[in-house]
Amino acid sequence: MPEWLLKDENYQPLPDRDTFIDKSILSLLRILSRIRAQSGYTGGKYSVHAPWKVAGTFLLIVLLSLSRNLWFLAAVGAYLLAALSMMPAERILRILKTGLVIAFFSFLVLLPSFFMGNRYSLVMIPLKTLATVTAVGILSHTTGWHCVTGALKSFFIPDIFIFVLDITIKYIVLLGELSLDLFYSLKLRSVGKNTGKYSSLSGIAGTLFLRSKEMAEDMYSAMECRGFTGSYRVRRRFRFTAADFLYVMVHAAFIAIFVYLG
Amino acid sequence: MHIPDNYLSPATCAALGAAVVPVWAVSVKKVKKEITRAKMPLLGIGASFSFLMMMFNVPLPGGTTGHAVGGTLLAILLGPFSACISVSVALLIQALFFGDGGILSFGANCFNMAFVLPFVGYFIYKFIKDRVRSEKGEYLGIVIGSYIGINAAALCAAIEFGIQPLLFRDAAGQALYSPYPLSVAIPAMLIPHLLVAGVVEAAFTAAIFAFIKKVSPGTIYEGAKEKSKAVYGLLAALILLTPLGLLATGTAWGEWGADEIGEVVSNGKALGFIPQGMQNGFSFEAMMPDYSVGGIPEVAGYILSAVAGVAVLLIVFKIVSSLKKNTHGVHE
Repeated sequence: MPEWLLKDENYQPLPDRDTFIDKSILSLLRILSRIRAQSGYTGGKYSVHAPWKVAGTFLLIVLLSLSRNLWFLAAVGAYLLAALSMMPAERILRILKTGLVIAFFSFLVLLPSFFMGNRYSLVMIPLKTLATVTAVGILSHTTGWHCVTGALKSFFIPDIFIFVLDITIKYIVLLGELSLDLFYSLKLRSVGKNTGKYSSLSGIAGTLFLRSKEMAEDMYSAMECRGFTGSYRVRRRFRFTAADFLYVMVHAAFIAIFVYLG
Repeated sequence: MHIPDNYLSPATCAALGAAVVPVWAVSVKKVKKEITRAKMPLLGIGASFSFLMMMFNVPLPGGTTGHAVGGTLLAILLGPFSACISVSVALLIQALFFGDGGILSFGANCFNMAFVLPFVGYFIYKFIKDRVRSEKGEYLGIVIGSYIGINAAALCAAIEFGIQPLLFRDAAGQALYSPYPLSVAIPAMLIPHLLVAGVVEAAFTAAIFAFIKKVSPGTIYEGAKEKSKAVYGLLAALILLTPLGLLATGTAWGEWGADEIGEVVSNGKALGFIPQGMQNGFSFEAMMPDYSVGGIPEVAGYILSAVAGVAVLLIVFKIVSSLKKNTHGVHE
């Protein structure tokens, strides 16, 4: 055994701040886990078809934005709570958390306007924001993203756009994993004080860009090999189920309530 | 800068959405012409890159972190038209799946961050790069372009917020959407962007560009030469648009009345409830008169100030580039 191995060493790494690495890792992980979880959502046997859900959510958001009536908001709120109550607890928590954080933030932002004499916005805007974000949350937490992008096809959105959207989500996962690895290695290699850390950040982003360009070329070659001609078709089978009927009726009722309350 | 729903009226959202549609149409057409079908997946991958860029936390002094938007960077790397599509798709995913930015206000967000930001940033970069022909000129263009790009986008968002209380109020005079007039919205949005976000954006853009240029110089988008003509058009349009936005400030003063604003200052400061970004907002009144030329109508004053400002900048860049040429001449 060499002597230097037996010597007692007391290495105290210099304190260093690397919160930005941790924060980046966390936000990347959050995105990745969110997308992975969502790709699993297929909806049960009785679930509503995605095009109805997307249209219904959009309708609710428009009505909420137009309405000036607190009672209408209360009606929508009750419906959203009812819809939430049928979901698993973990998803309910996630949806409510996002909504409450955003609503609280808008409350803070609007607080000064209260002292300018605007009582209306302080009450209405945070509540409307909560309802809107919850509605979008329910949509995105009950529908797989491929169903949502597929549903966009029903609203005459050009194929190229849906194609780009689909690739984007897939590559957010691929490139997200890549940048996560890069961040991990930056963290592992930053023992003690690493002064070159900040410039590594641009290296990570730069590498990410170069990799994404390579990936894009590879992907096109792969697509061409499989006979891709540049057009993109979404195949759909569509049956109107009882759940669809109920969903459409509820939203028709909201239009009626909106008109009635004015 | 992601505008959530219910801050802008549906009418504003529809108008801005309608303004973005032709931009998308032109972008798709340009992209189809500029990049071959072989590079079509690049649009999607560019969008995911731009999405992930916003996940990168950049360290700020004081231990906090912020994030860049990267609109100008994408425009420099992929071209402004591809950047427009990529950022739009990234924004759609944020709105649809992550509750970040509204669904109705998607058009407004795209207008600010997918149209104004990359185009203003890119054309300023291109303009300076073509005038000051050296590596320094290129980086100067990147820094100024990305800094002005993000601030132009923030200004647009601020104007969109600020016109809400003028246009949409109920019978009792209560604002129905964002209640802050331009005099509050503009400084509240611009001060943090001028001081912090713009600096982050510029530094990040320049650093990544430097890296890519060093590692793989061939991948950077080469815009056509005649593009610099477009920047004159853009500048002209911006000059003409300045009073349009600021015209509303004039109406805002008329409608809100100086006494009301005085009240805000005393109440707001006395109570100390003002969120950070807004704290400095109320002193805006003092800054404004600098931009209007006394004795002539306000609108004309704004146009004059804008023309003069742009002219001064052009003159400075002309002089800088001519000095460059002269020193080259001496060396040769």
